[in-house]
Amino acid sequence: MRRIIAIARKEFLHILRDRRSLAVAILMPLLMVLLYGFAIDMDLKNIRVGILDFSNSSDSRTFIREMVSSKFIVESERLSNRNEIEPGFRQNKYRAVIIFPTDFGTSLIRNPITQIQIILDGADGTSAATVANYLSAVTVRLNKEFAKEDFGIERLPIEIRTRILFNPELKSAHFIVPGLAALIMMMICALLTSIALTREKETGTMEQILTTPVASPQVILGKLFPYMIIASVDATLIFLVGKIVFDVPMNGSWFALAGYSMVFILIALSLGLLISSVAKTQQVALIAALMVTLLPTLLLSGFIFPIKSMPTVLQYVSQIIPATYYLEIIRGIILKGVNWYPRSGGILAGMSLFLIVLSIKRFKTRLD
Amino acid sequence: MIAPVLYLIRKEFLQIFRDHAMRGIIFVAPLIQLMIFAYAVTTDLKDIKISILDRDRTAASRSLVSAMVESDYFKLISTAPNPESLRQDLISGEADVTLWIPLGFSEDLATGRGAQVALDVDGSNSSISLRALGYTEAVVRLQAMKSLEGFLTASMNRSALQNTITPSFGDSKNQISPTSQSIPHLMNPRLIEPVMRYFYNPTLESRYYMIPGILVLLITLISAFLTGMAVVKEKELGTLEQLMVSPLSPAQLIIGKTVPFVILAYFELTVAATFAIWWFNLPLVGSISLLAVCALVYLLVTLGIGLLVSTISNTQQQAMFTIWFFLVFGILMSGFFFPVENMPLTIQKITYINPLRYFIEIIRGIFLRGATLDDVLPNLLPLLGIGLVIFSTAILRFRKRSR
Repeated sequence: MRRIIAIARKEFLHILRDRRSLAVAILMPLLMVLLYGFAIDMDLKNIRVGILDFSNSSDSRTFIREMVSSKFIVESERLSNRNEIEPGFRQNKYRAVIIFPTDFGTSLIRNPITQIQIILDGADGTSAATVANYLSAVTVRLNKEFAKEDFGIERLPIEIRTRILFNPELKSAHFIVPGLAALIMMMICALLTSIALTREKETGTMEQILTTPVASPQVILGKLFPYMIIASVDATLIFLVGKIVFDVPMNGSWFALAGYSMVFILIALSLGLLISSVAKTQQVALIAALMVTLLPTLLLSGFIFPIKSMPTVLQYVSQIIPATYYLEIIRGIILKGVNWYPRSGGILAGMSLFLIVLSIKRFKTRLD
Repeated sequence: MIAPVLYLIRKEFLQIFRDHAMRGIIFVAPLIQLMIFAYAVTTDLKDIKISILDRDRTAASRSLVSAMVESDYFKLISTAPNPESLRQDLISGEADVTLWIPLGFSEDLATGRGAQVALDVDGSNSSISLRALGYTEAVVRLQAMKSLEGFLTASMNRSALQNTITPSFGDSKNQISPTSQSIPHLMNPRLIEPVMRYFYNPTLESRYYMIPGILVLLITLISAFLTGMAVVKEKELGTLEQLMVSPLSPAQLIIGKTVPFVILAYFELTVAATFAIWWFNLPLVGSISLLAVCALVYLLVTLGIGLLVSTISNTQQQAMFTIWFFLVFGILMSGFFFPVENMPLTIQKITYINPLRYFIEIIRGIFLRGATLDDVLPNLLPLLGIGLVIFSTAILRFRKRSR
């Protein structure tokens, strides 16, 4: 135990000496949560729409008025002929163009159904589908309005009463903050520890440690301990900012949150140590740590992209990413108030044990 | 003049390729990443899990249910027997959305009172819930529009027959006012139908939009990180001083330190883009040479960042952390995942200094929309400006140190 403490103390001194890395490790999470809590909004807003109105009728103007009356759509561009449509898309001036035919006004009165053409920029497929959805909602609202004026029909035949549970205002921060917590902890922890051993290898001090009577589990545990403290400070900061600045609710128990977070931190740290025991240079260790943490946690954990939309193979891959389970757990605790996760929690605990043992094992083989 | 630089470049390449882990990082990892991420970043939501409680059990309610199930978006996971189990499906995460069709649905529909359905959405994952909400509403709205069209056309026909404009489904409340009865054209319902047409990517494959962004990430990682660390590594090992005392001029030194990474980044971009075009059928509508020019401007930025950071860092860890710090901000504020126009105005202004924002916009434009030089110029010029500022600052700092 004394030896573990000695190693931990030495590591602490290393960390404290490099002020900038320490500052990044503490400030980065804070800044990230603040910035992304404000910046990330899944909901498409201020959609720029171009208008090509050949009819110049009062009905087309009504349509445009109805369209921009919602906060989602703004008219960005008035076109005068079809040739202007494509350059506008290429210069990203709008996401869609609405074309009213010359006889729009008269056709409305004479024909059963009047068509308008809407051309959308399909390059961003997901947004295009959403924009199409908004615009068709505008036409439905207008049709309903017409039906009311002409026939006195007050209601649409079917109306939806929508309720959103667990996050009624669909505040992105409520959903982003837990995800950011996972991402930041994973990256900071793995990056910090990934060079904990390689640095000593590169500078030659590893041999000095090996000549001392400390055993490899003691080295590994001693190296883990200081970083656990930094990571816990990070985690506390993230969740506090989420709670105080963004009003992220806390429906479950703080103890459960802290417990699962510790397990997750342990996984991230031992992953870094494992990389560190394998890599020969800091350069390789850092880049490897970045590659196995940043993008997989960002893209494969369900943080932003729903796992269920992925191909089956990748759904399996996401099952070996610790953040997948951690995210499920903390979103559940924070938003749904469910505290008990035997399966995901068990998998996380297993992962951390496995990684610690593996890094001790790997480290031992380098001793001889 | 040229020969010493070539030696330096050769030395740099030898150093990079000596480490077999480095070879893996440069040649294998990018393709694996491209492969995995291109498959992962599909935002099209398929198979939204829906649980339906149909209390009405009539032809009308069943037609709504089948409209849901037959659309590509939904997977019916259960038909709940009662409201409690419907709610339980949502809490347990078995279902993403639940739909409750109340008793009397078809009657309300037929009489025109306006039938109501209750839609509950799990809001705990808002990227899913927003789209789930949108798709569900779209399906129900389509049904509603069909019914409305049916009513209006029927009422028009009937009124043409009876010469009165009483809506067929109208109860006493919905009687038409006498004034409108006197205007004959009102017999025709005013109905607008939007016809959607998608340019550039008619199947709305979200992958096509994301892959160019992934290419940007790959070359950014390689160029900024490797340059930064290559210089700091020499500092740490003390070999930088040896280079400084050699007859190489600072300019030669900088060229020798950056050119290898320009070559590597181009190599990476070419391989990854070729792979994306071949494997994912990513369209490349615009010109390759324009892409190459824009990439060069972007590399000016990333190499400049790498050099600049190396001048202010003493250890590889510091260099790595500093670059990483900026990179993570750069990625998330670039419009890669979240459209810039969704962000609050102050933050949108910050993104104007983000080189990634410009280059992602450019590369998407060239790949997908066939953007020409004129089209990309509004993005290329700021990028060039940022690149020149960063690169010249880096060189100035570098020279000062070497004196």
